[in-house]
Amino acid sequence: MNLPGIEYLSLGLGIVLFLAGLWGIIHQKNIIKIIISFSVLDTSIHLILVSIGYMRNRTAPIIDSAVSKTDAASQVVDPLPQALVLTAIVIGVGITALMLTYALKLFNEKGTLEIDKFKSLKW
Amino acid sequence: MVNPVFIIVVLLGAGFLLGLFRKTGISLARVAGLLALAFPLYVSVGWMLHFIGQTAQPYVVYTAGTVPPFSINLRMGPDEAFLTAAINMLGFFGFIYLFRLFKSQGVSTIILYLVLFMGLNVIVMTRDIFNLFVFLEIASIALIGLVLVNKGIDALSAGFKYLIAVSVISSILLVGIGFIYYYSGTLNIDGFIENNSLVMKGLSTAVFLVLVAVVLELKAFPANGWALDVYQSAHPGISALISAGTATASLFVLYKLLPFGGHLWLQVAAVIGLVTFVGSNMLGIAQKNANRLLGYSSVGQIGLLVAVIGFSDDLGSHLRMIFFGLFISHFLSKAGLFWLSGMAGEEEISKWSVLRKKPALLLIFGMFVFSLIGFPPFPSFYGKWQLVMDLSGNGQILWIALILLGTMFEGVYLFRWLGFAIKHEVDESKAPDTAAEKMIPAGAFALLLLGASWVSNAYFPGAMKTSFLPLYFILFLFLIDFLPLVIKNTLSILSLGYYGWRLYPSIQDDTLRLVFAGIFLIGGMLTLFAGYSEKGKRPGFYPFALMMYAGLIGLVEADNLFGFFFAWELMTMGSYILIIRGKKSLVHAYNYMLFSLGGALLILFGIALTVAGQPDISLSMLASPAYPGWAYALLAVGFLTKTAALGLHIWLPGAHAEAESDVSPMVSGILLKAGAFGLVILFLAMGGGEAGRHPLLYALGWLGALTALGGNLMAVFQEDAKRLLAYSSVGNLGYILFAFSFMTHIGWLTGLTYSINHFLFKTLLFLAIGGVVMRVKTHNMYEMGGLIKRMPWSFIAVLVGIITLAGIPPLSGFAGKWLFYNAVIAKGWFLQGALVFFAGTIAFLYCFKLIYSVFLGQEKDRFRKVKEAPVWYIIPQFILIVGIMIFSARPEIVLKPIGALLSQAAFFPSEPLAWENVTAYTNLGYWSGFNIMLVIGAMFVVLLGWLLLMSRKAQKVKQFNIVYAGEAPFTPETTHFSHNMFAPYNKALGFLIHPVATQFWLGVNNTFHALAESARKIYSGNGQSYIIHIVAYIVVVYLILS
Amino acid sequence: MIRNSFLVLITAGMAWILLDAVSGYQSREYLNDLSGYYATSGPEETGAANLVTAVVVTYRGLDTLGEVTILFLTATIIGFMLRTSKRREGSVRRATSEVLVTASNVLIPVIFLIGVYIFLNGHLTPGGGFQGGAVLASAMILWIMSQSGTKVSHSLLEITEAISGFGFVFLGLLGIILAGGFLDNTFLSLGTFGKLISAGAIPVIYSLIGLKVGAELSNIILVMNETQEAEQ
Repeated sequence: MNLPGIEYLSLGLGIVLFLAGLWGIIHQKNIIKIIISFSVLDTSIHLILVSIGYMRNRTAPIIDSAVSKTDAASQVVDPLPQALVLTAIVIGVGITALMLTYALKLFNEKGTLEIDKFKSLKW
Repeated sequence: MVNPVFIIVVLLGAGFLLGLFRKTGISLARVAGLLALAFPLYVSVGWMLHFIGQTAQPYVVYTAGTVPPFSINLRMGPDEAFLTAAINMLGFFGFIYLFRLFKSQGVSTIILYLVLFMGLNVIVMTRDIFNLFVFLEIASIALIGLVLVNKGIDALSAGFKYLIAVSVISSILLVGIGFIYYYSGTLNIDGFIENNSLVMKGLSTAVFLVLVAVVLELKAFPANGWALDVYQSAHPGISALISAGTATASLFVLYKLLPFGGHLWLQVAAVIGLVTFVGSNMLGIAQKNANRLLGYSSVGQIGLLVAVIGFSDDLGSHLRMIFFGLFISHFLSKAGLFWLSGMAGEEEISKWSVLRKKPALLLIFGMFVFSLIGFPPFPSFYGKWQLVMDLSGNGQILWIALILLGTMFEGVYLFRWLGFAIKHEVDESKAPDTAAEKMIPAGAFALLLLGASWVSNAYFPGAMKTSFLPLYFILFLFLIDFLPLVIKNTLSILSLGYYGWRLYPSIQDDTLRLVFAGIFLIGGMLTLFAGYSEKGKRPGFYPFALMMYAGLIGLVEADNLFGFFFAWELMTMGSYILIIRGKKSLVHAYNYMLFSLGGALLILFGIALTVAGQPDISLSMLASPAYPGWAYALLAVGFLTKTAALGLHIWLPGAHAEAESDVSPMVSGILLKAGAFGLVILFLAMGGGEAGRHPLLYALGWLGALTALGGNLMAVFQEDAKRLLAYSSVGNLGYILFAFSFMTHIGWLTGLTYSINHFLFKTLLFLAIGGVVMRVKTHNMYEMGGLIKRMPWSFIAVLVGIITLAGIPPLSGFAGKWLFYNAVIAKGWFLQGALVFFAGTIAFLYCFKLIYSVFLGQEKDRFRKVKEAPVWYIIPQFILIVGIMIFSARPEIVLKPIGALLSQAAFFPSEPLAWENVTAYTNLGYWSGFNIMLVIGAMFVVLLGWLLLMSRKAQKVKQFNIVYAGEAPFTPETTHFSHNMFAPYNKALGFLIHPVATQFWLGVNNTFHALAESARKIYSGNGQSYIIHIVAYIVVVYLILS
Repeated sequence: MIRNSFLVLITAGMAWILLDAVSGYQSREYLNDLSGYYATSGPEETGAANLVTAVVVTYRGLDTLGEVTILFLTATIIGFMLRTSKRREGSVRRATSEVLVTASNVLIPVIFLIGVYIFLNGHLTPGGGFQGGAVLASAMILWIMSQSGTKVSHSLLEITEAISGFGFVFLGLLGIILAGGFLDNTFLSLGTFGKLISAGAIPVIYSLIGLKVGAELSNIILVMNETQEAEQ
């Protein structure tokens, strides 16, 4: 992979997706769509994190036949953001699953998924 | 000491293992859970004790066998030890509280609970920012799970709102963390703070994202609707964990991360925190649901703590102390209040009267409320004091004003709530839940609160130490509350005597203090005497009576401003409870408390502007305040709320009139002198001579004159005997204020004479009328009449009382008048003097009404069999009468030393009043109380003898009922002359007593209620709106910052 | 309308903030001190060829423990939430298609093996416990879909979950006792670099994570599926 400027592209895409997700969360009325928007938002953050760790002309941070143990530092991309992304993905999965379960329960209680309809508590 | 990483191992290991027992073994799981939670408590308390004993160094836990920044590290320092100890304490007792709930909800909830506390511990200890993110998520998710133990749509929808809000906030946090790593190359908190400055825009924006997310986690106002819903709908045992537990951890996160943002962010935190404190508490005013109200209060308190962190630079080495004081009060009280909420089982605050069925619960409730608002001896009192002093030292006056305003709002709703609990009608069918597993945590936190108070007293700076001896005695009275009244009453009287004996040597040369101490102590003993006539055990009376007296005496004893304010608040607290004991006192006690709280906050403000952060807080500092004008004005107005000056008087009539028979003389004859004493202290500090021309004093003189006139006028038109006396007190305190404002030697003698007189006759009158009211069961004078035959002793007492009050020779009231004329003429305040003189003539009217309507005229049928007032009421009255006689005949016993002191201490060196034996001379004339007494006494004896002689042959006629002649209307009494007695005067002067002040304060009240009512509409209940609030909040804060 | 313009406005505000955040971004040329250390000393210290794994399991092992905990929490909450919903009896289901049943009989063991392979080799090749666990769970989905009507034992999954979770914590603990600190992997021999049995405790931990993640995800799916069945 030797595309010039791909890190800019993915970073920009991450920001656009972030805004799209955010827009969905504050604009959509259907809870499932809100959850999907949240997933988009979550994914955008992963994209941003990966872009931040990316370095041109380098390879995955695994020492094997392609990367020698001694000058790994000049051959691999930053491993840390990848580790962070791994963690973030798993947390995102957990939260999304939780949200969906909530949506299921909310639907069972009221027979609707319109977020405007759940206003029993206020002020 | 145990390696803190074992906290994670034990809690998480237990959590995972409990997964094996999901289906079976709930009993075992509960015990295992409790044991697992005891372990971190043991670990963190152990560390804390070692840090206190200075036998431990901050300890860093390295993971993965590598040093940071390469691996994650945890830190256990003094701060962490204290906070984890608090959190684990909550974890342990909160678990006990939920013990029964766990049984029905199963092992899963126990797992969530254990993991929640594991998360909170790590949040406090970790020094890695991404790790922080992970464990914040853990804590949030565990909480969201726990919210679900309450079934139903409310908890479910609140949980969902919470979930999406927290997810959005943590997304922002994660983006920020990502960029922080990109720009700085580290995730380690300490490493970042050491090596990075925010000159680069990208990095400062990343830091912005992180910090704004943390602030939002702390429920910054107004982007906090999501949290309020959860507070309201979750099980109270869970809400307690959010309010006290997660908030604690998040606060420490802010403290750890705030250095990222440098000085700028300190200011941002201060502003955000205070806006939250004031805004949230204001919206709380209109709230009636207990749990949601607690939510508002929690958010507000946390806002204040955020602000304190933001003030780090200003507070310097005091930061920890202040934080401790405010934090521990919030932490213990809020958890305790949520727990109580679960025990009360009522959401509507007016229904909390159910707590009355368990007085212990009511007591704990009161403790938590007073501690939240910052009354002594609770730690928040110390914290707030020091905070305000230090802010003033740095010139942050506006911040002080906001803090006090927020506190006032908080008082408005918390005292309404407390009042409901003490006084509102109670639904007989309900009872609080007092299962042991709920009593233990609430009781434990109440005890911890007392312990923390003791710690505050022991460890705050030297000048802020007060003797806890009276408090121990009050505590003792609580413990022996089950004993018969005779024992408690006797002990109380003896304790006052003992205290006087102990105090005497230290103030025997200070005649001024001696006078007030005499009023407080002797008055206290006499009024307590009347208590012997009470039936039953009178639960809860003595501790608070003694608290009030301890406060009053503390005022006299205090040698520094802190001690003075401490005593002032103690007095307020005790007197509030005494007043609210009256049958119809709910509203009046509430008004009393609001005015007292407002006054106290003004006094605190005044003191802050006086001291301005200097270490010396002795009373002599009042002589040279940092901001003299404001300080004096605020202090004066603060004291005037207690003396009920015109405009600030509306609480007094109801509070004094509706109080119990023996409480009215306490609060009217004695308590009002506290305000007078405050003014004396203040005026003395302002100094004689030069300050005599201070414009403030001129204004106060006018205010005093108008108060005298207004109070007396209003008294004239009362039908309620106790209200008449109450309004009369307003007027009398007006005289006192007027006289002290002269700032002349003779003016002060007048003021003190008035003070002593008012104490003597008002205590006497309230005791006498109180005794009458006890017998006839009504306050309305026109319903009484002719009681002279039934209650001759009371009649004599009232007669002596009104003679003194009206200033008729030979009694000491005239002495006051004589001094007064001398003072007015010497000072030259003729116009005001004329007003006061006019007020004096009006006093004759109500004096006449009092004695005529109650004791003279026709006897009413229904009162033909009433007995004389209880002997325990009569005895103190006659002791007071003896006092009046002595003071009338030999005023020089008191006035001479006072005069000497006033000259000696160089307050008012000129000595216009000379004494020759018992005769006083001024350049205007002379007066001898003793001789006048002799003359008038002789005249009295002669006339009486003559009267008896003449009436020897008089024929006794039987009474016939003129009231029922003609027709008999529904309430025949109202046709009698003594009803609406001064109606003609009302036509002439009534416009003067138009309730302007009442309307004004009502208007203020309604304005804030309406404001709160409409402002809280932003919490529309729509989860999406809450997200929009969050995003808008971020954008707005960013806009303001850039 | 007003509402939408307001939403546009605040979204634009967020865009502005994000653009400010990336304003200092440029392509990276060098690893920074932190990642440089991982690249140079990581293989020596942890014995893992996969540097991401070295970071995930060892250097930032506490994060990973937290991550596992989050999945555990989620599974617990979902179980707790859905368990309480009422089951309707006597629901009728369509029979599963022959093709699916046959194919899954072949595929499930293979998928399962792949999953195990992925987490066992987490320290050498791309992938690890989470990825392997997810693959295991996908086998589970297939099994649920093909074997409709058979009850899957929750207990087995829960026991796996609990034991592997506790095992993770316990291995972390061994790190304190036998090596340099919590979650230090070097208390087992680092072995020969690049071999399956190497990198100390990393393969063991990753296996436990794999089992745990697999069990948890399976459990979530199972619970959701059962709820769905009950509601049909």
